[in-house]
Amino acid sequence: MTDVHPPTSVLFALLADARLPTGGHTQSAGLEPALLAGLSVADVPGYVGGRLATVTRTEAAVAVVARHVVTADPDERVAGLRAVWEAWAARTPAPALRETSQRLGRGYLRLAHRLWGAHPAVVALDAAVVAERTRLAASVPVLTGPVGRSDRAQPPRPLVLGVVGACVGLDARQVAQLVGYDDVQTIASATLKLAPVDPAEATGWVVAAAPTVEAMAAGVAHLTDPGDIPASGAPLLEEWAQQHARRTERLFSA
Amino acid sequence: MRTTVEVERAGDRVRCVLRAGHLAPRVLTQDDRGVTVALVATGALLLGGDHVHVDVRVGDGVALELVETSGTVAYHGRGRAASWAADVHVGRGASLVWDALPFVVSDGADVTRTTSVHVHDEGAALLRETLVLGRDGQRGGLLRSATRAVVGGRDLLVEELDLTGPHIAPGVLGDARVVDSVLLAGRRSVAADGGGARDDETRGLVVLDLHGPGALARAVGTAAHVADVGPLVTRWRSALPTPDAAPPLDPETSTDAPGTPAGTDDRSTTCMSPTT
Repeated sequence: MTDVHPPTSVLFALLADARLPTGGHTQSAGLEPALLAGLSVADVPGYVGGRLATVTRTEAAVAVVARHVVTADPDERVAGLRAVWEAWAARTPAPALRETSQRLGRGYLRLAHRLWGAHPAVVALDAAVVAERTRLAASVPVLTGPVGRSDRAQPPRPLVLGVVGACVGLDARQVAQLVGYDDVQTIASATLKLAPVDPAEATGWVVAAAPTVEAMAAGVAHLTDPGDIPASGAPLLEEWAQQHARRTERLFSA
Repeated sequence: MRTTVEVERAGDRVRCVLRAGHLAPRVLTQDDRGVTVALVATGALLLGGDHVHVDVRVGDGVALELVETSGTVAYHGRGRAASWAADVHVGRGASLVWDALPFVVSDGADVTRTTSVHVHDEGAALLRETLVLGRDGQRGGLLRSATRAVVGGRDLLVEELDLTGPHIAPGVLGDARVVDSVLLAGRRSVAADGGGARDDETRGLVVLDLHGPGALARAVGTAAHVADVGPLVTRWRSALPTPDAAPPLDPETSTDAPGTPAGTDDRSTTCMSPTT
């Protein structure tokens, strides 16, 4: 077996590509509920900045720390991933946002199993999922809220993304950039489906946000401790996400 | 100067240790299951350079309710920052209700608020927080508010609200000036099946069932009276554990409960409750 690692910049592009089969096309990064709540198209760049300062920064930090723990001490990988998972859950108070992230995580995990299933980082993640499922089963019915809406033992997207980043050799900053870029591009492309906007203008928003994405990534890339993951909340985003989860007529799932 | 409110079971009584700082604790009512304590400001609060620290410890099997007699206004700091910190521990079978009054951040104030809550997995806490940016006609000063709630050793909620400028972004707070919230830690919310939550959301409330045993209800608005989580405070009280009554009290010592002054103004008082 040849053990040749392709240049990470190509795989970085692969992971940032909307054609990656992980279900990203179902997402608007909260833009659809935001527009329904009265956000104007002119406010979209501000909305991008608001997310990068709050929920997206947290998500990027979760991915960074997840990547760190699976590339560090092998004996600590499973416990480390579980600690990052708990940190994510405590910093994501809106159940609609947790469920969306876990649904997306499932898509990335399926891909990770097919492409890098034997990688120690994926093996550690599988063990963390089993441990979490066991913990949740033991705490039923005390901890179960609404039953059946989602699999609470499903790892969230940034946790899996950090693991995938480790599999393909991305560094911490690239993992954070990936999360930030994906969020901005998701918003820009969703806008095209929800409002009359010139695609070049929407792409211009992504270009304009690039320095903010870079700064956000640089600000979280050094993190290694789950307890240090930032937790800046965005009350309106959370409110809109909850409302959207109950809508029957919607273009994007979140 | 730390304000301390410690209540614990001592045989058939509830014993309290009360120490005054910027806030002075005063026992309002007490019985064999729990105590209601008022927190009274001992001077103008908050001024620049003020650092308020409140320690609350609720021992196993005791119910404590903290009440405030007035909201808190963080005044123009004249260039000096201020802070407000609460450190809360709730024991096994114990409960805390702290239905705090609004915390108003005036123009020119620079305030850091920290709320740390540790709850035993068989205890529960209900904490209200109403943040208001600016007094009438003001945009408000700088406020960073951090909350960490831990139940049974696991993080339930870790949240920071950075209201120092970037919060005006759409999706964070936009043009809202009030964030009214109540946190239930240690118990699932009563209407976790979504029925009641849906009704609440039509009134501008959002109920977030957290990943562990707890929930956060929040209303974001442009003025304090627009959105109000008060109804949730009332409803979620019923989810709290009810401590078992201690053995019957000696009739002689059970009569002087209400209104007992917690002590003189030396800012350090220990009371036994009921007073013997």
